[in-house]
Amino acid sequence: MEAVIRKWQQKFRKGKEEMEKWESLQVRWVSLFRNASSIIQRLQEMQNHGSYGALRCLKGIEDAVVQQQMDQLEIILRSMKSVLDEFRGCVLTLERQHRDGLQLLKMEPSKRRVERIGVKPCLTDCLEGLSILYNMHQAEYHLKSSILSALSCLILKPSPGDLNALQYLVVDQPNIPKDEVQHIFDIIFAEDVN
Amino acid sequence: MSISQFPPPASPSPASSSRSLASSSPASLSSSSMRLWKPAAQRNLRNQWSKLSTCRQQWIATSSAGRSHATSLVNSYLSQKYMPMMELGVLSDMFDIKKKALNKLFKQQSSYRINLLSSYKELVAVVVEMVNASRSLRCYTKPSSGSLIQFSASKEDSNDAGDCGGIAVFSFWNVSAFEKMAEELVEMFKREVMLKRLLVMELVSLSSEVPQPVNISWSVELYQGEFDDLTKCSLYSVEVSEPILPQVKEDDLGVSISHSNQPTAEILQIYLTTWIAGVNIHNHRVDEILALVGEEIRVTF
Repeated sequence: MEAVIRKWQQKFRKGKEEMEKWESLQVRWVSLFRNASSIIQRLQEMQNHGSYGALRCLKGIEDAVVQQQMDQLEIILRSMKSVLDEFRGCVLTLERQHRDGLQLLKMEPSKRRVERIGVKPCLTDCLEGLSILYNMHQAEYHLKSSILSALSCLILKPSPGDLNALQYLVVDQPNIPKDEVQHIFDIIFAEDVN
Repeated sequence: MSISQFPPPASPSPASSSRSLASSSPASLSSSSMRLWKPAAQRNLRNQWSKLSTCRQQWIATSSAGRSHATSLVNSYLSQKYMPMMELGVLSDMFDIKKKALNKLFKQQSSYRINLLSSYKELVAVVVEMVNASRSLRCYTKPSSGSLIQFSASKEDSNDAGDCGGIAVFSFWNVSAFEKMAEELVEMFKREVMLKRLLVMELVSLSSEVPQPVNISWSVELYQGEFDDLTKCSLYSVEVSEPILPQVKEDDLGVSISHSNQPTAEILQIYLTTWIAGVNIHNHRVDEILALVGEEIRVTF
């Protein structure tokens, strides 16, 4: 039984690694989003000739600045797309852990599935943990994907309010509540706590 | 893009005219001197192009440092400007709090101004170095008394065009092909540095005092020796005794610069955006030029 639990814990360690990867992607994602958002916020002002002050004497300055910033924005959006793909990679790994767990549990007799030894988790706890982690990240991935499309729409119709709201979601990652994640790991690695 | 927007450099570089001179010089056509010339010319081209590539990196770093000084300067200026209208809440009971804060912001600005000017000075220095490198791509035979032929970067024989009769230096390109690439590259940075100059001029003259204490105009040096540096890059016009006017498009003749008094927050925002945008430097083209040249001279930049 101990060996079986260890095997499950191994899955959680793998999951943890994946979540660390997710975190570092998240740092990049937030900074890309901020850069994109500040260009979008500036776009309207950039198209206003009156805002160019002393630069107004330069023919073509507006077009050149707008063009350059649009190119920059495109590069940023492309990077966001590739970060999004990496997020998806994390989700797929978590999904695989969960699916493997499901298979593993099927092989156990139903009595052993709820058996508990000391503070160690039971097998159902383990499966449920993996399932929650997978679902959280999948939901968050879908949110990120919608944020990216929303951001692309805002280029044509910038609204500072919408950008701020999106930024809040980007930073907050509402589908992955940190305390809940911690709670899962506390149950699985209860013996290691303290 | 390859058409020069600035007066041609003072040093002899037009390839077509010197090419005919070179072919008339028998010395540069003899096979033994050709054999000796090639390695010297190759070494020189590798060195100068490495310099150009390093300069580009320095430009990026300096421009980004300049941007952060400019941002700090603008933020401090705006805080100072809005200070009298600010609600300070509990702090308003403190004796002379606004006056002290204004004083602090005033001091801050003067140090940001100095930083911004020194970044600009560094940018000019980078362009000077690029211009020098782009004008030193030829390799001349040095007349010597001994049997050993030596080479130098300076022309010593008026018949020597420094390109060995226009032969390919590595595989395909002759010296003037390298010069054309270098010119296209340097031209972008020359144009951008003048745009930055206009921005620096506007930013360092920011002041909430009325009337403005310092009156900076286009024809005044931003630092001592600036005009000597700009002259080296053919960016200073002796006829009108002021730097060449900045331009974004090639056909722009450049109207006179009018300094904007007390620019609004929106204008300052655009100044900073324009600084970041670096509209005259087409990065993908710069990468392309460096890649093409690198391939030809077998160096990875």
